[in-house]
Amino acid sequence: MAHQAHSYHMVDPSPWPISGAAAALLTTSGLIMWFHHSSSQLLTLGLLSMILVMLQWWRDIVREGTFQGHHTPTVQKGLRYGMILFITSEAFFFLGFFWAFFHSSLAPTPELGGQWPPMGIKPLNPLEVPLLNTAILLASGVTVTWAHHSITESNRKQAIQALTLTILLGFYFTALQAMEYYEAPFSIADGVYGSTFFVATGFHGLHVIIGSSFLSVCLLRLIKFHFTSDHHFGFEAAAWYWHFVDVIWLFLYMTIYWWGS
Amino acid sequence: QGLKPIVSTESPALIFGTTPKLASDLPATDSFLGKNKVPDLQKLFQKADGLPVHLKRGVPDKLLYRTTMALTIGGTIYCLVALYMASQPRNQ
Repeated sequence: MAHQAHSYHMVDPSPWPISGAAAALLTTSGLIMWFHHSSSQLLTLGLLSMILVMLQWWRDIVREGTFQGHHTPTVQKGLRYGMILFITSEAFFFLGFFWAFFHSSLAPTPELGGQWPPMGIKPLNPLEVPLLNTAILLASGVTVTWAHHSITESNRKQAIQALTLTILLGFYFTALQAMEYYEAPFSIADGVYGSTFFVATGFHGLHVIIGSSFLSVCLLRLIKFHFTSDHHFGFEAAAWYWHFVDVIWLFLYMTIYWWGS
Repeated sequence: QGLKPIVSTESPALIFGTTPKLASDLPATDSFLGKNKVPDLQKLFQKADGLPVHLKRGVPDKLLYRTTMALTIGGTIYCLVALYMASQPRNQ
């Protein structure tokens, strides 16, 4: 039987890339049908197939790495590059929304009353729930680092405790933000203030949910003994993503919540 | 490498999952939240049965795969029909 004479991973043929592309087609066309023709079947189909593809693709990666041993140091290096590049692209995504915010808020037009916040907008008090949310995310950054150290020190019980705490803090943030959204005196339709506020914080909230999901999967894998003290890249990737989410919040808080009030 | 999946180059003993620093090597925490089934799963997924990784577990994998393909392929056809219809000019 032939064995490879290199340390790279030649993957098995997989149906997930093309199914993922199809799922993206269904989701985007589904959005169009929902917006313009009040029909949500295509969108539901798209989101469902997207979830199925993600579950199976990532499941396969766990199988390839943890169970089949394909994630050599060379392969891991590539995975690290990949995650860094992905997070960088997300940073640029948010940069666009910050640009939009500063474009409108640094030179407020006469239609806004020549001021920021615009005439008639009552912004949220940055020293109330937003400040609590800042503390929550900063604390979760500490607990995820604690979890990492526990993993490298082979302390299973503490790693599980720390990661669970991190995820709970993430849920707490999401719950508080949802409440803030509900109670806010302004909506997304309230001019450019509403647009910039809800689109920027909304996408951030979505990333908190994604990050919490990623960490939850890591918790499950941690409990199932998938990680070793010197090979746990899935966890590291989740921790990087979580820190990124935290940093984006800090920028949101300083610019939109604090300076913008 | 071809279509036949090659069993990983390292023998099980050298795979990271089974290096000496396993979490399950810890004494007192062995039974904290379940026992370590990773070595068994490693054996299962490294069986030389020619199956690709997305079907390696047999029946549950096949069901999930077929469901996903049915939804995506069926959905794509539905999508193309819907887009074709939506692009027809509406009669006044």
